[in-house]
Amino acid sequence: MKVELFHAPGCAQCATAEASLKKAALKVVADLSWREVNVLDELDYAVELGILTLPAVVIDRELVFASLPTPGQLREALVQRAQAAVR
Amino acid sequence: MYTIGKLAPASDVSSDALRYYEREGLLTPAGRSASSYRLYDKDSVRRLRFIRHAQTCGFTLTEIRELLAVRGREAACCGDVRTQAIEKKLQLEAKIRSMKVMSQALDGLIEDCVHEDHPVTGCPILAAFEQAVMPAPAK
Repeated sequence: MKVELFHAPGCAQCATAEASLKKAALKVVADLSWREVNVLDELDYAVELGILTLPAVVIDRELVFASLPTPGQLREALVQRAQAAVR
Repeated sequence: MYTIGKLAPASDVSSDALRYYEREGLLTPAGRSASSYRLYDKDSVRRLRFIRHAQTCGFTLTEIRELLAVRGREAACCGDVRTQAIEKKLQLEAKIRSMKVMSQALDGLIEDCVHEDHPVTGCPILAAFEQAVMPAPAK
């Protein structure tokens, strides 16, 4: 599973939350691919994914959170996806 | 001090727009003349310039109100405004993309319509609109 955190450069809120989100995600999916994306570096990709607000979290190329989730919300989204993949 | 009649043409804005900005709480006159005419000072001119410039960058009046509020907030930093500007750019880019799709769809329809002198009942463009499958409503 791949998680991408899109943020504006210099987003203090993202820098603070990023570590706890990443930690929460790795607890659920061991082989998780985690990527932080400066939206200005990949604007076309962000538009393609439908990102209109920042920060945003994309899981497997699907925009799942249009604002910063809590670690619990991210964990839940990943668990649901992992379970759906098993079924 | 400027009256609305002076400020409007000097700023390339209509008097109605100035009154609308006032109703929306974006631009309040500095005062009123003895005859109760609206009077605008240099700050009003600066604020009006801000509003107009932000509008040309695609910001809505609601968003401009937020930007003006951020400008007056001591705790706010430039990064807050920058993020709003980046979000606006994302919205504009998304709009450009969807408009390109619309334009391409029209290209296809225009190409299909090769017989200009055919009656309108046989117009392939109108027929295509009638037959088009509507997208499912968002859940």
